[in-house]
Amino acid sequence: MAGQFKYGVSLYSYTEDFGSIMTLEDGFDHIADTGATGIEILGETHVECYPEPSAEWLDKWFGLLDRHQLEPTNMCSWVDTKLRLGCQLTVAEGAAELERDLRLAHRLGFKSLRPKFGVIDAELTPDPIWSGAVERVLDLANKFDIVICPEIHSPTPIRHPAVDGYIDFIERTGTPNFRLLIDTGIFQNRPLKGWQHEVPEGDSDHAKLINGIAVDPEEFLDIAKYVAFIQAKFHYINDDLQCENIPWDKVIPVLKRAGYDGYLSSEYEGTREPWVAIDQVRRQHVLMRQLEAQYDAALADA
Amino acid sequence: MYEYPLIQATGFRNYGPADAREGVEVRLRLPNYRGMRLSLLDGVDVTIDGEFFSHEITMLRLHGEVYDLEAMRDATTVRWAMGDFGTVLVPKVGGLAPGIHNVKVAARTRSPYFPPHLQPLPVNGERLATIVLP
Repeated sequence: MAGQFKYGVSLYSYTEDFGSIMTLEDGFDHIADTGATGIEILGETHVECYPEPSAEWLDKWFGLLDRHQLEPTNMCSWVDTKLRLGCQLTVAEGAAELERDLRLAHRLGFKSLRPKFGVIDAELTPDPIWSGAVERVLDLANKFDIVICPEIHSPTPIRHPAVDGYIDFIERTGTPNFRLLIDTGIFQNRPLKGWQHEVPEGDSDHAKLINGIAVDPEEFLDIAKYVAFIQAKFHYINDDLQCENIPWDKVIPVLKRAGYDGYLSSEYEGTREPWVAIDQVRRQHVLMRQLEAQYDAALADA
Repeated sequence: MYEYPLIQATGFRNYGPADAREGVEVRLRLPNYRGMRLSLLDGVDVTIDGEFFSHEITMLRLHGEVYDLEAMRDATTVRWAMGDFGTVLVPKVGGLAPGIHNVKVAARTRSPYFPPHLQPLPVNGERLATIVLP
């Protein structure tokens, strides 16, 4: 039998709730009740006094993990290459941003870190300091047993120079501590509803962001061996349990055929309103689990 | 905890001496989904009852410190964390009369991972808010 997925939820899913109607404790409760085994966070959002949480906060964090039987999966971070207007970070400064977050991720028990590098053009080419900065912290990542995973996110498709660059880096260094993270938003093949206002009029990426870039899920097979984590991005699952934007019935079988046995970490990114995400995440978990079960059943019958 | 909207109802008030108000304060929640260093905020435009106040003249108070645009751009080690309130100081001599006012805000947020032509991207809020005391 193919590998079994692990199911997780990113606290990012509750962006419209967190901080106004939802506490960290509430977030853990909602995630655990989906049956998930893993929790993903954004360091700068969900860690109080980031990047130096207090001893009391750390006690709370580990207490919540224990009470809800959740493991830390991936921590999201940023390398703000344009921290200062009109100038870029140096390689050393970029490495310092990564080191700060590796140390925090390690303290919190994460085994995966997603740094979001600044970009230099409309094609979303990552700032060239990324490779030098990552190379400087590979030994630290190795010591902490953490995999650094840049995110392949719409409008960047799988077949793109940025992805080639990341794969070349893995091959050149031979490191086990750098892999890819796939955001399933790249498979979006139907337009988002009610999102027009989110993107400036006339922007070149407007259509891509609204309509999706519709990467063929089969292309995942080309890069599967480099993928360590999947953010299961979605936008709306209707009352008939149909996802209106991401073709999960095509995506899940490909992930199974590829032998992917890592996390599917829910990332709800729909309507900008509170009180919506909690049930949307639950719907997505039903949908993904059903599709995995169907695949496994068909394989068992064959 | 924050009120859900970007512009908080509480904290909307006049500032300066009671008999010579210097302006109006507008309290905001973090204009981003992640905590950020203050240098990533390129000022805040405010419009009150149709009167526009540019990000070049408004100021921000965070953790008790007041930043003008230039100071904000230099604040690479100051964090506006999730859960922190930031207060925009709008220089409107005489302040506002008690009552309900229309308040619009555009917090000009830079996200280095967005394409360069989308920076800064305004995070917008608009609401009716109430000045209680003159």
